[in-house]
Amino acid sequence: MTLFRIISLSAFLICCVSLAYHLIRLFKLGLPKDYSHKIGDLKSAVSYSFIGGMNPLKKESAYLHFPTYTAGILYHIGTFVSAVLFFFFLFDISLTSSLQLVPGCILIASSISGIGIFLKRVFLKKLRFLSNPDDYISNLLVTMFQVLTFFMLFTETVSPFYFILTGLLFLYLPLGKLKHSIYFFAARYHLGYFYGWRGVWPAKKL
Amino acid sequence: MENSKDKKNKALKILREPKDSKLVTHLNSCVHCGLCAESCMYYLVTKDEKFIPTKKVDLISSIYQRYCTFTGKYIPLLTKARELDDNMTEEMVDQLFGACTLCGRCTKHCSIGVDIAYIVKVGREMLSEMGYVPATLQSTVNAALQTGNNMAIPTEELTDTLSWLEEELQDEMNDPEASIPLNVPNTNILYTLNPREPKFFPLSISAMAKIFYAAKESWTLSTQMYDVTNYAFFSANTDEAIVIAQRLYDEMFSLNAKRCVLAECGHGSRAFRWEAPNYLQKSFSFDVLTSVELMEEYISSGRIKLDKGLNKEVMTLHDPCNLVRNGGIIEQQRYIIKNAVSNFVEMTPHGVDNFCCGGGGGQLAMSEYNERRMKIAEIKAEQIRKTGAKIVVTPCHNCVDQLMQIDAKFKLGVKIKTLAEVVADAIILEK
Repeated sequence: MTLFRIISLSAFLICCVSLAYHLIRLFKLGLPKDYSHKIGDLKSAVSYSFIGGMNPLKKESAYLHFPTYTAGILYHIGTFVSAVLFFFFLFDISLTSSLQLVPGCILIASSISGIGIFLKRVFLKKLRFLSNPDDYISNLLVTMFQVLTFFMLFTETVSPFYFILTGLLFLYLPLGKLKHSIYFFAARYHLGYFYGWRGVWPAKKL
Repeated sequence: MENSKDKKNKALKILREPKDSKLVTHLNSCVHCGLCAESCMYYLVTKDEKFIPTKKVDLISSIYQRYCTFTGKYIPLLTKARELDDNMTEEMVDQLFGACTLCGRCTKHCSIGVDIAYIVKVGREMLSEMGYVPATLQSTVNAALQTGNNMAIPTEELTDTLSWLEEELQDEMNDPEASIPLNVPNTNILYTLNPREPKFFPLSISAMAKIFYAAKESWTLSTQMYDVTNYAFFSANTDEAIVIAQRLYDEMFSLNAKRCVLAECGHGSRAFRWEAPNYLQKSFSFDVLTSVELMEEYISSGRIKLDKGLNKEVMTLHDPCNLVRNGGIIEQQRYIIKNAVSNFVEMTPHGVDNFCCGGGGGQLAMSEYNERRMKIAEIKAEQIRKTGAKIVVTPCHNCVDQLMQIDAKFKLGVKIKTLAEVVADAIILEK
């Protein structure tokens, strides 16, 4: 294993420990104790929160902003693909050329989406007002991760840059908004729990 | 007397010592995508970025970052972590009290699932700890604490009004036994009122009394504690909310009623049904239900009979946020309307996606923000106008008040009614 790979792996392990800290903290804090009489079905509501409630037709944040929503979805798919490929590159597992094509296409689309989202944040007054440096850094790091993952599919020459970047990304991830990779799931759970307890999700049929 | 540093520390304690994982989760989840903007009436009407829901969350999360996270303590610029200083407090009061109805529409539509309304409520709690509740809202809470009802109605005035309404009921029913029972122990139902009813809208009490009469219900009102509202829920002062909730809880035992039926009041229903058990830290041993559920129960069980031909005018429904999106009462009012009204048109959007009337979150009690409140109301006015309805029905007295002001300002020419009034108009009394 090269030095760059070791640096990247170390950063990855530090990232895992940090995220585990966040996760354990959430579990230790536990769910809110609710003394009111539950009228809904928590299991169905939490499932709905993760599945039906994520349906783009159910959320204004999706159907009123379809291009941005689509870019966001592509961007996240690209991130997952890049995360999986990271282990292939880390342990030097080679992909056949036919296996390079699909992730390659996904990464082109996701990288373009990432750049689009970044430019939107830079140029839209509304988004600039809402943004802090962490928003730009997070966006840039993840987009570069996807771009370099794409190149890594086809050439080894970017390898040092790739592993330095992934090292930086993993070290940065628990510090800023990228830790929503953990908190997103907790947020959806809490939302399903809240609406489920009160019978909002799924609504009572008469 | 507490100094400002002590008060600030008490406010920060809310963030430093979370009771459970909910607060930490929602404070760490927002990605500043800004896609919640169009779900908020304040932003939609004003286009002012400071009203975007994520910005409201950001006020609290930036304080959280500053005082409770490594990044915020040592690299505050990275996340724009901020001190809880005078400027911050001023912004919080303006945006969390003055520009949010706690309707929760942004929460439902957030791309991540951040409970934005909950975070705003936490921000209000912090402000309450520091003594920054707007004076008008606090005076409403004080009236409830000092007199037992938020409009400071003297008991004699209440009993006079109820006595007059009882006579009217007897005339209408042509039955001298028809009554509005007061302080009767061991009934099936203890019914509550929004103090706006005896003060301004007594006909909604008559309507509910007529429904109880038709259902042959065993019920009572309490002159000691009848106020369904709890404005301390809006001011987010838990100690005061506990005092108010405890009174109604105690009255249930004092009169030994089986079920507590909450009048048509969105926040009152939410405050007593969903929040009061948590304020008081106990599960209630009696049933708590809204009058909407009770009317649905009467109709579906055949205890009251309706003739929808008696309500012929085009009617639309305004869904109160606290009852619907935050209380799960979604289909019951539609079932009632289907049985009581012959010409019904839904608003677009409606149900869990409905827009607030603009008077929620204590806005109607905070005259400081009247101009802003009526400005954002144009969304509701347009929603109503597009239905072509002549009557707007809503199971919430707070909404009734705001809708009446909307009707006057935007010249809609509609009548505003409670659900009980619509049902009472359609009741067929068995001889």
